[in-house]
Amino acid sequence: MKRLFLAVLAGGTALSAVPALAQDAACTAEPVTLRILRTPGNYPYPAAMEAWQKEHPCVSFEVNEVPFAQLGDTIAVQAASDDPPDILVYDGPNTQSYAKAGILLPVTDYLPEGWADDILPATRAEHSYEGEVYSPGIEQTTVAMYYNKSLTDAAGITPPQTLDEAWTWPEALAAFKACQQGDPGAPTVWGLGPTRFGNGQPGLVYQDLIYQRSNGDPEADPESSAYKTFWAMAPDGSTVEGYLDTPEAIEALTFYRALFNEEAVAPKVGIPNAFFDGKACFYIDTPAAGSALLKDPVIDWGITPIPYFKTPVVHTGSTTIGVTARSKNPEIAAQFAVDMSWGELAYMNVSQRGNLPTLKSLFDRFPVYQDYPMKVFVDQLEHWGQPRPPSPYFAQYDRVVTDAIRSVAFGGDPEEAMQNAEREVARAMRR
Amino acid sequence: MTAPSLDRRPDRTARQRRDTRTAFAFLAPFLLLLLIFQYLPLAMMAKNAFMDYSLLNPGAAKFVGLLNFEDMIHFDDARESLAATFLFALVVVLIVIPLGFVLALFLNSSLPARGVVRTIIMLPVVTSAVVVATMWNFLLDPSNGLINGVMSLLGLPRQPFLTSPNQALIMISVMTAWQQVGFAAILFLGGLQGVPKELAEAARIDGATRWQVLWNITVPLLSRTTLFVVVIMTVFSLQAFAPAFLMTDGGPQDSTNLIVYHIYKMAFVMQNAGYASALSVVLLLIVLGISLLQMWLLRAKWNY
Repeated sequence: MKRLFLAVLAGGTALSAVPALAQDAACTAEPVTLRILRTPGNYPYPAAMEAWQKEHPCVSFEVNEVPFAQLGDTIAVQAASDDPPDILVYDGPNTQSYAKAGILLPVTDYLPEGWADDILPATRAEHSYEGEVYSPGIEQTTVAMYYNKSLTDAAGITPPQTLDEAWTWPEALAAFKACQQGDPGAPTVWGLGPTRFGNGQPGLVYQDLIYQRSNGDPEADPESSAYKTFWAMAPDGSTVEGYLDTPEAIEALTFYRALFNEEAVAPKVGIPNAFFDGKACFYIDTPAAGSALLKDPVIDWGITPIPYFKTPVVHTGSTTIGVTARSKNPEIAAQFAVDMSWGELAYMNVSQRGNLPTLKSLFDRFPVYQDYPMKVFVDQLEHWGQPRPPSPYFAQYDRVVTDAIRSVAFGGDPEEAMQNAEREVARAMRR
Repeated sequence: MTAPSLDRRPDRTARQRRDTRTAFAFLAPFLLLLLIFQYLPLAMMAKNAFMDYSLLNPGAAKFVGLLNFEDMIHFDDARESLAATFLFALVVVLIVIPLGFVLALFLNSSLPARGVVRTIIMLPVVTSAVVVATMWNFLLDPSNGLINGVMSLLGLPRQPFLTSPNQALIMISVMTAWQQVGFAAILFLGGLQGVPKELAEAARIDGATRWQVLWNITVPLLSRTTLFVVVIMTVFSLQAFAPAFLMTDGGPQDSTNLIVYHIYKMAFVMQNAGYASALSVVLLLIVLGISLLQMWLLRAKWNY
């Protein structure tokens, strides 16, 4: 029965399969086909794969793609099967969940010399579990605040361009209010535009948990509420009790709720392309938006660092590459995953996708990130970057806390929302 | 000497036995498919309801007895989700049944524009749920939505239709009713066209008004159709998934967390497949119970 179900699902993903990459070089050993499951348009890219195949002429690839929204479901079904894909390109914060479930193969022994010194600490933390590294990491993203320069100039606002001048959230709110145009509740130009992630509604952990985290202090006494607010989960991933409903978190969330309600400077629902269409002064997004604007500058734009309350913080993370523990070809699959993430092949993959590398040594090879505006992302990543709370239960945490923050944005009580979230996450962790 | 048994069935002829074998041969493929794709999964679901496991690692499943069912009592999520689902189903049925009936009466009459109306009410039924949900998202948008735009023109305050816990469930119920009313109308129309015209004509000759004919003849004679439509709409509503998935993500504050969406979320997001199976078992029993109750309450008292 299970096999039948898996066959049906495999058939579904095969509908979106891209042609297998074969190689021209002569193969003198047993041919191997590595099966890759990824999202459409994601790495590993053909140029890097073909370069790798020159050194491994017996390896060919079969690539299957599923939309990001179904990636987690597909991995949940396929990776636990008897015949899983060899390579997964999955959402990085799920590394520990997959490692704990025995889906991923540790790649620690395959990592090249110098990797530990070159990798960004946030990436390493996110991709490690119980002393083993489960993904070498390829790229990183983080968010910054874009602004429409024509609109901010008209409002007499000059957003800061460096980290040491970054706004606090109250300063940012003053800018949102000054820049917003039109009737309250239905402005023609919003102060802060909606996210492009998910369904466009607020609350996503990746983008919005940083409000409350920034009201904490990572250097405070580990027993203090300020410390717990910043980490938003016990650093060892063991509990969330007392980490989400702290006075500091409630204070930050009360401010956050006001953005969508009393102050009404941000919409509660998505507006496609609001920022690019000139319907929002400010907008929070990854480097992807900057890359698009550099190619096609539909508006005059700039980037300002993410505002904060007490401690600046941005979340890191992106999709990453891993090897399934039940791969029929674990050795060659692990070698492929590590090679795709190191040196020239990593550069080929990252440069095509347009996000940031996870290797510090590659930063210099991306000129666009050397200067303002895109340099803001690199500076934030190096100085403010934190992974989303690493835990084998991150997927559950992500969903529960997103729902809680969203309910606050819609006008709910922050304390009640966070207490419920703690209870739900604790329930998931009980298993 | 023993008396012959009175209840002994007569011996079946060879032909009867052959006919039975032929019938089973024809039925076998479908029965086999039903067994594999319907009853086997149901049996597995019932077994999994007593297990604790994650889809990521089903091999590590462990037997936990009634823990999943105890969790339904101990935690609020199942109660709240079922309450939201029942309210959703009630609103849908209360809108669809009378409206579907009235539309069917219109379609059964000789009034003009029946063809246009039939097309209009059937279009939402055959339109993809994704398209319908996206369209209603635009209609109900708090800032730029058509409905709020009209309300604003009339001087009424803008409404947070899909972002208010007090309004979201009603709005997705209305949307679902709008989508399903055409289906109900077609079912009622089928029933109306089966009602003998002589009964209404005889009543009219005896002096009954159109209203009296409708209330005392048509409605009672349509009880079988009404039962069918009520059961279909109730079961459909209790199994609704798309509105919660596509429009509200079960929010705000779980107000639209319909039970099937909740089951999906528990299995695939929260990785608690055992609990999701237990919820599915409970839902199956509830749907069966409600359907049986409705059949008993609305059983036909009239035949024609």
